[in-house]
Amino acid sequence: MSREILRLENVSKRFGGIVVADNISLSLHAGDVLGLIGPNGAGKTSLFNLISGLVQPDAGRIFLDGTPLVGSLHRRARAGVARTWQHMRLFRSMTVLENMLVGSRNYPGESMLASIFGTTSVRDSEAGSRRRALEVLERMGLAHTANSVVVDLPFGQQKLIGLARALMNDGGCLLLDEPMAGVEGRNYETMQRIVRDEAAAGRAVCVVEHNVSFIKDLCTEAVFMSFGRILMRGSVDDLTQSRELTELYFGAAHA
Amino acid sequence: MDYLASMGVLIGIYVILATSYNLIIGYGGLNTIAHPIFFALGAYTAALLSIETSLPAVVCIAAGIGVAVVASVALAMTTLRVSGDYLLIASLGFQLGLLQAINNLEFAGGPAGLSNIPMTFAGPARSWIWLVITAAVAALVIWLVRRSMAGPFGRAVRAMRDDEEACAALGRSLFAMKVVIFAVGCGAAGLAGGMYAYYFQYISPEQFSIAQSATILTMVVLGGIGTIWGPIVGAFVLVALPQAITFLQLPSSLVGPLQGLIFTSLVIIFLFLRPHGLVGTRLAGGVH
Repeated sequence: MSREILRLENVSKRFGGIVVADNISLSLHAGDVLGLIGPNGAGKTSLFNLISGLVQPDAGRIFLDGTPLVGSLHRRARAGVARTWQHMRLFRSMTVLENMLVGSRNYPGESMLASIFGTTSVRDSEAGSRRRALEVLERMGLAHTANSVVVDLPFGQQKLIGLARALMNDGGCLLLDEPMAGVEGRNYETMQRIVRDEAAAGRAVCVVEHNVSFIKDLCTEAVFMSFGRILMRGSVDDLTQSRELTELYFGAAHA
Repeated sequence: MDYLASMGVLIGIYVILATSYNLIIGYGGLNTIAHPIFFALGAYTAALLSIETSLPAVVCIAAGIGVAVVASVALAMTTLRVSGDYLLIASLGFQLGLLQAINNLEFAGGPAGLSNIPMTFAGPARSWIWLVITAAVAALVIWLVRRSMAGPFGRAVRAMRDDEEACAALGRSLFAMKVVIFAVGCGAAGLAGGMYAYYFQYISPEQFSIAQSATILTMVVLGGIGTIWGPIVGAFVLVALPQAITFLQLPSSLVGPLQGLIFTSLVIIFLFLRPHGLVGTRLAGGVH
């Protein structure tokens, strides 16, 4: 079996009376594309927030490449957790390229002095990031948008740029929050191809998605969540054929 | 002609104030209104040192910058971990409280202020020498802001302003960036304060009141928030405009209220008709 990248051990989180994660244990390996499905409010996005450090768990531990994953958002991003957001959250005043350049794990320009004086490490990392960003855009067929302001692009392309920005983080774990919502046609195919390539390159990918056919095409496995718990993990076919889960998802059929 | 040079010095000082304020609120998106208090800390530190000691002016002004930076870091450490409105409220308290303290400190001259600040560059060319110095320092501050905002640091700062969580999730340390731009911006205000004290040789608490916040904010908004040229244009217009009004030879009881009316009307008109200011474009935040 391939290398384990992400491991959750008995992770729990509650907000007041609402349990968003109830003793969740999960393991992801290099090359996995794990689908996360379940009704609204099941805790899918909350699980991403717990892994990426937007919220801290009440109990349990999370490991990335065998090392405990602790601290806030930026520390975990630097450790190698890349994520996207359901509503993209692109930097509206900036171009596509600028959006992406913010996303390198190694960013010596975060020091004001180093940035002003353009030290060698800043110049090198900027050049490297620029190359990487253009490569990613090239792979998506969006190289021509590099200098467009993100909000001027059509929705589907903005969705891809959200992924492109996350891909600037070359870490092992990629969390995609509803990448296909509102995406169709050629952008849909591009999204699929890129996600597949990233997994093949050795990343562990986890996808929250309501589009079952996307999950079916892409995911090696899927997890069904409800009320903060993992009810079942298995192949997408197993999950969609489970009568119990289908009822939870679509509502019980009243005979 | 001395009048022109003197006005030039004042414009230069406001260019420094508005440019540094714009760094904090325009680029950084950190909503503070405490800029005049850092201006005051620089002015009072430099003035007191110049009166009480025989240290050279450069050292006294540098000490003023130091005090402003230390105070700003203290405020930042306590309020910048939480975002947004907390800073606004804390900065309001900081501005009002500290100014009230200055107002009541005997060694700082109380409400009467300090008026025996030693003369620098005595002689007929004094104002012109100060004009050159002020212009050079203002140019340096503008360069610093422009250079840092055009590079990778500025890119990360603008990303933070656009969306804090998304920026942090890409690995950027927001807290570190916020503290740095706050300290640099407030340090520049301290620098402006030291120069103001030395040139005008008289400072009093009312020159650093909350009304000064409104003036500096108006300069930034009117010129173009989040742009390099905006605060510069704003400072020129808002220093020159009241001077122009005095040429109308209105009774002095009218001039004050008229200025207030014009300033607030300008802000309201600009917010409605031209929210990006005189020089701003739709993409405020680029380096124009």
